[in-house]
Amino acid sequence: MYDNVIDRSKDITILELLDRVLNKGVILTGDIVISVADVDLVYLGVKLMLSSVETMEQLKAGKGIIEK
Amino acid sequence: MEKLIYSLVSAKNNLEALNALLAEMKGISGFDLFVVATDEVAAVVSDFDRSGTATDRTMAIEYAGLIEIMAQHFTLLPVRFGSVMESTDLILKMLERNYHEIQQNLQKVDNKCEFGLKILCDPEKIMADMKSKTEAIIKSDIAPSAEGKNSVYREWVNKKLTEHRLEEMMITFVDSVIAALSVSLTRLNTIYKFKKMVTATTIIDAVFLLDKEKKDALIQSVEVIEKQFPGLNFLLTGPWPPYNFVEIVLK
Repeated sequence: MYDNVIDRSKDITILELLDRVLNKGVILTGDIVISVADVDLVYLGVKLMLSSVETMEQLKAGKGIIEK
Repeated sequence: MEKLIYSLVSAKNNLEALNALLAEMKGISGFDLFVVATDEVAAVVSDFDRSGTATDRTMAIEYAGLIEIMAQHFTLLPVRFGSVMESTDLILKMLERNYHEIQQNLQKVDNKCEFGLKILCDPEKIMADMKSKTEAIIKSDIAPSAEGKNSVYREWVNKKLTEHRLEEMMITFVDSVIAALSVSLTRLNTIYKFKKMVTATTIIDAVFLLDKEKKDALIQSVEVIEKQFPGLNFLLTGPWPPYNFVEIVLK
């Protein structure tokens, strides 16, 4: 049980990481090219965030603090 | 070749140490990391071959990992993944154009780190608890009407009142959790942002910015508050580079 919780916590940490690195931080605009495979990344991000909600629900009884 | 930008760093007295750190690291696709600097502000960049590179989740994670290593040694502003400029000259001009704004943001996050906190509940359980309390209140609130006990109108009013009371109680409950957190956060001199009722399950989504040396105190405070609300699950992550506290759009 404990191992499962830790594994899921790591998954959530990766989701938190992707949310930050894809959606937060300094933004460049204007004549600068913002270049990523937008569709794939956004799709992947949304899909992962949806699954993360389920994972979080499973964690209700688990350990709350996540070590990165 | 185009340049991928990873972070903006304070270059004041830091350039030598920054270059030494970057010499030990490799950027995305194995390209060398290097510094483009103007006065006291620098951008950490690498070459980037868009045509031969498939950007994907793994690359985004690798990119975030590189920023994290840099953040362990230097105050920085993380740049959103996928920010590419055509040349170092353009990066230099961008740094010059936005110099004061970058400096202000660097000062704001100097020697600080970010934590994220999601507070989750079992919505069915919490609503059931509240509903039992709400029905008791509504029964005491509504006096018997002349229209009779079983009128459709009365049923409808009761239903609406219950919904309204439930919503009020939920907001009051969430506010009480935020109030409890705010006391500790203020004591730790933390900058914080709360989002309430993000989903039925995630009742609070918060981010904190605080001094690096206070991170253990923050973790302890959150653990104490979690014990005050046994029906909730607290998910605290961090320390992160200050992604959520960078308020800058570079032109």
